[in-house]
Amino acid sequence: MKIQLPFTKSKKRTTVVKETIKKDIGMITPLKNEFIQSIKDATHNPADLMIKNISPNLTLVYIDNLVNDVTLNNHILASLQDKPIDTPETIKASLSIPEINISARFEVVVTAIVNGSVLLHVEGFSEVILASIPKQESRSLTTPENESQVIGAQIGFNENLSTNVSLVRRYIISPDLCNENFVLGNRTNTSVAILYINGIANEQMINTLRQRITDLDIDALIDSAVLAEMIDDNSISPFPQMLLTERPDRFCDGLLNGKLGVLVDGSSMAIICPQSFIEFFQSQEDKNLRWQIATFARLLRFSAILLSVFLTPIYVGALTFHYEVIPLAFLVPLSESRALVPFPPVFEALLLEFIIELLREAGARLPTKIGQTIGIVGGIVIGTAAVQAGITSNILLIFVALSALASFTTPSYMMGNVIRYIRFPIIILAGFWGYYGIMLAFCFILIHLLRQTSLGAPYLSPFYPPRLKGMADSIIRLPLPLTTKRPDITRPTDQEKYNKEPVNPKNS
Amino acid sequence: MKTLSFYIILLFIVSLLAGCVQTNILDKVGLVTLVGYDVGTEEKISTTAVVREVNPEFQSNVQVITTENKTSKGNRMKTNRKLSKKIMVGQMRVILLSEELAKDNIHHYIETNLENATVSNSLYLAVVEGQMAPLLEYKYNNIEDVGQHIYRLLQQNIEQEHMISSTLHEIAHDMYMAGDDIAMPIIKKDEELVGIAGIALFKEDKMVGRLSAEDSFFVKLIRDNFKSGIYETVLQKDNVPSDLLKNKPNEISLAFDAIRSKRDIKLVNPTTPEFDLNLKVKAQILEIVPDVNMDDPKKVAKLEKAISKNLTSDIIRIIDYGKSIESDVFGFGEKYRSSVRGSNLTKEKWHELYKNMKVNVKVDFVIMRNGVFE
Amino acid sequence: MDNSVQLKPNDMFNTYLLFFVIHSAQIGVGVQGFQRIVYQDAKHDAWISVILAGVATHIVAFCMIKTLEVYGSNDLYGIQQDIYGKWIGNFLNAIYIFYCSIAFFSVLRNYIEVIQAWLFPGISTWFLSATLLLITIYAFTGGLRVIVGISFFSVVLALWIFPMLIFPMKFATLDSLYPILEANVRSLLKGAYSMTFTILGFEIINVIYPFIKDKKKTSKYTHLALLATTFIYLSVMMVSIGYYSEGKLLRTVWATLTLFSFISFPFMERFEFVAVCFWMLIILPNLCLYLWAAYRGVIRLVNISGTKFVWIFSFIIFLATLIVGSRTQINMVNNQVAKVGFYIVFVYPILLYMLTILKKKFTAKKEQTNENT
Repeated sequence: MKIQLPFTKSKKRTTVVKETIKKDIGMITPLKNEFIQSIKDATHNPADLMIKNISPNLTLVYIDNLVNDVTLNNHILASLQDKPIDTPETIKASLSIPEINISARFEVVVTAIVNGSVLLHVEGFSEVILASIPKQESRSLTTPENESQVIGAQIGFNENLSTNVSLVRRYIISPDLCNENFVLGNRTNTSVAILYINGIANEQMINTLRQRITDLDIDALIDSAVLAEMIDDNSISPFPQMLLTERPDRFCDGLLNGKLGVLVDGSSMAIICPQSFIEFFQSQEDKNLRWQIATFARLLRFSAILLSVFLTPIYVGALTFHYEVIPLAFLVPLSESRALVPFPPVFEALLLEFIIELLREAGARLPTKIGQTIGIVGGIVIGTAAVQAGITSNILLIFVALSALASFTTPSYMMGNVIRYIRFPIIILAGFWGYYGIMLAFCFILIHLLRQTSLGAPYLSPFYPPRLKGMADSIIRLPLPLTTKRPDITRPTDQEKYNKEPVNPKNS
Repeated sequence: MKTLSFYIILLFIVSLLAGCVQTNILDKVGLVTLVGYDVGTEEKISTTAVVREVNPEFQSNVQVITTENKTSKGNRMKTNRKLSKKIMVGQMRVILLSEELAKDNIHHYIETNLENATVSNSLYLAVVEGQMAPLLEYKYNNIEDVGQHIYRLLQQNIEQEHMISSTLHEIAHDMYMAGDDIAMPIIKKDEELVGIAGIALFKEDKMVGRLSAEDSFFVKLIRDNFKSGIYETVLQKDNVPSDLLKNKPNEISLAFDAIRSKRDIKLVNPTTPEFDLNLKVKAQILEIVPDVNMDDPKKVAKLEKAISKNLTSDIIRIIDYGKSIESDVFGFGEKYRSSVRGSNLTKEKWHELYKNMKVNVKVDFVIMRNGVFE
Repeated sequence: MDNSVQLKPNDMFNTYLLFFVIHSAQIGVGVQGFQRIVYQDAKHDAWISVILAGVATHIVAFCMIKTLEVYGSNDLYGIQQDIYGKWIGNFLNAIYIFYCSIAFFSVLRNYIEVIQAWLFPGISTWFLSATLLLITIYAFTGGLRVIVGISFFSVVLALWIFPMLIFPMKFATLDSLYPILEANVRSLLKGAYSMTFTILGFEIINVIYPFIKDKKKTSKYTHLALLATTFIYLSVMMVSIGYYSEGKLLRTVWATLTLFSFISFPFMERFEFVAVCFWMLIILPNLCLYLWAAYRGVIRLVNISGTKFVWIFSFIIFLATLIVGSRTQINMVNNQVAKVGFYIVFVYPILLYMLTILKKKFTAKKEQTNENT
């Protein structure tokens, strides 16, 4: 099922990379000017490259925008000020910063300086002290904007990898929480971390994921969404096979169910895999609510999704071909509302869906304050005007608005998009062949979903292969005493979540 | 590896090539809601169709068009020539047959509608007293859409169990059944109103007799089970039990609702044939004039007995009428077929037997309660 | 000759899914209008014929499974090659492949006919055939896992249609079933024979057997599936007999669909229009399983890749749907399928079982004598 992607490592490219690395290998000169020149050459003499001479034979080299000024002043400059210049070892001992190294290899030194290290070069020594004091630019932790919920933690990931990892570690305080780091992107050198819980996560899946990430040969990685698309089982399918979330609680819940998580530096969305189709429609809030309420919310969401995908096509199909199925009570209002409309129902429906999508897209692109106004004004003004002008029927307007509303109940934005866009081909099919077209689309989607896998696990799990308890737990939210096992999709090493017996100890 | 996009592209190409199915867009078709068949003056069949159309100026209007032709399909084409929109029969709710036509033969009209897949099996059939065109073409003061009006009229009466059910399926069922005959309501124009005037009884596919609308209660009682019917009757002086009231009244008027009935037919003697018809009727008293003290169980029992007797005589009267016109709308024949092994019943064979049929009627009437005010 | 099917555990499926496979393989286009054909012979005792046909499937399935058990992990194609030798075996295999193809064709053509009769009288046959074949190809190229998945969803998602029988039950009378056993045994058996076309499909067990994980439970789930199918046919038949009168049933082509005509909800009337479309999901496993069964046979004869095979196969079927146009031709094909199916599915497996036992005894004796000498 794995489709060969253009950015997968090929043999030819690897050799090229190796050659460039070979060229850079070299030792550091003990001469001060020569060293400065070589650094300037290697970094292409950027404007923010700072070279400071503390004393005649001690030179500080760093990139201004990458290092933390406070640390530099308080811990490096201050402690070097009155010390006699000695060997690099003595300087290293005198500096009070945690991450400090000595290296004699030029390649290492250049990597260190672009990562935010200060280089301390002592004349006459071919070793350089690397004091790592990178500037940690990050936004403060805020509520997750795209996945808000009423009951539950109000904290979301931000764009900093170490903050995100620490958030996860705060939730799961366990030595079993494994964290593997990779660097991706030939030009961006982005840090990527795989997180999983040893003893729960399936070994084979970890290997597969590791393999997929290390096999990637790309020049840049800006966001985790791109990474998710690259390591998906089938990147061509419109359905995402891995979940993107910005909720640490959801992320940790996934890990505890035996899933694997991927965090990317510079991206506030974390990847969770393997993920089944049905899990995209579950919200973390379902776990926090009482099971009856959560069940109702889930059923509401599922009916909303069915409605969202099939309501407009059914309208189009019924009005274009199958007028027989319309009950007498609807017949007159339906035909009268369409009396002024000059277009066939397909075109009418597509036009309205297009307007709704336009409003959504405009709302998403515009700044928040204007966006809301556009949404309301645009919706009301265009809607009423369209009906009065006789371009659409007001009943269809209700249907389209309803299905748009319903599509937004999907907790995952990525899946919500798919649900919304999948409607267009179905409307067209319904406009051409009525219910036969809708059924054709339904069968096609069903087969397509059956063919998909998520990290090798069946995408339609637990419906296919069928697991009764899993099925029940995904359509409704079962009470806690009934969900003692982890879902099958992750093939967990340790299946039991907790002891079945008393979740609430009996009154004693 | 054949990729998904390949299939999508292929599907789209195919769809674009073949996008040529005839559409029936709701507002571009004229929907026939009612069709009436009558005997034509010049040609064989005269068809009156009630067509509902939608157009931007009038929102929606109803047209009644009468055409004459040799076949009903030919009439449909003729009607089409008179309308701006093509007519479709998928929303047809009622088929009316004129009395004259019904007395001739209705077989063809039922069959042609059964063959058409778009015609619903749940539409109602009825016989019209007199001519078809005047009933449908008349501009009623309070009826905007005569097609929908007649449909609702029939639907309401059938659902309230005032009238026997006459859906196309049931009519066809009875028509093709050896031991059953067709019965359907009769509709009549009454000044500014359209109303149900009685029941038409058929022998095979010819209308041979009629009963009044009031008698439909008894027909339904013999044919079917009531779930919640209503019934009113008058006990004549002879039938009134002597010690029910102090001064014996000339007659007692009674009205019942929430009637539940259960009919049970048994074939006692296959040669005659002889049937036992047991009816269990439970009802709630709605009205009783003059007032009878219902606290006394003895009096209630007497009253029940009197009503049973009254019902029995009515039922015998109805069955006798059916026998006299050789129309078995009650389904005795079906009971005969299902009770006699190897009967190989046909309509002709049954009608021969039916003439000499004997029925022992036994009615068991129970008064359940008498409202909330005693 | 060792030609058993060697599989990795990943290619196999859980035994209980066999229930869905067999059940969905049996229920297809036949159920839309089998009442009339059976009723012709057995009259109002048609439901007894349905039971008889159901019992026959149990007996035949028993023989099939026993035959397969002798060989461990092999399918019908391999068994035939083993028993009759290469040439005759392959000839019989070719006949079986032909049977699968013609059954596939008949399912497809019948469904197209239903669509044309109920929904779109004007739609071109080639378009319907092409779209349905494309869907089938897409499912087939997904492998057995996807095909079994479709069988599963076809059964589960169509479950809601079954309770719809309650609606026509309101108009059904029990009297129609009486007197019981009025028809003689001959007409009952004839009626049961008429069920052949409707009840076919369970012979897929012949081909799918090696792919079952726990082979010991095969018979349990097979018989359960057959029981479920018989139950559904029986209830549809009984409701139909009660709902229609004799003459009407004999003249109704798709009695099950007409049965649905009465169903209406506040938001929808004329349920049969939806049912006709929804039937696509019910025939999809039929198509996929027959196609797959044919493919398993073809790769025994020639070396061909799945994708190549499915395109060639579909093209031939596509052309065939264009040739067979009228209702009479379709009925002729159905009758032929029923006739061929009767011998291949109901008669032949019993014969084959006896041959297998004979051969087993023979080889056992041979080995014994070999050991003795």
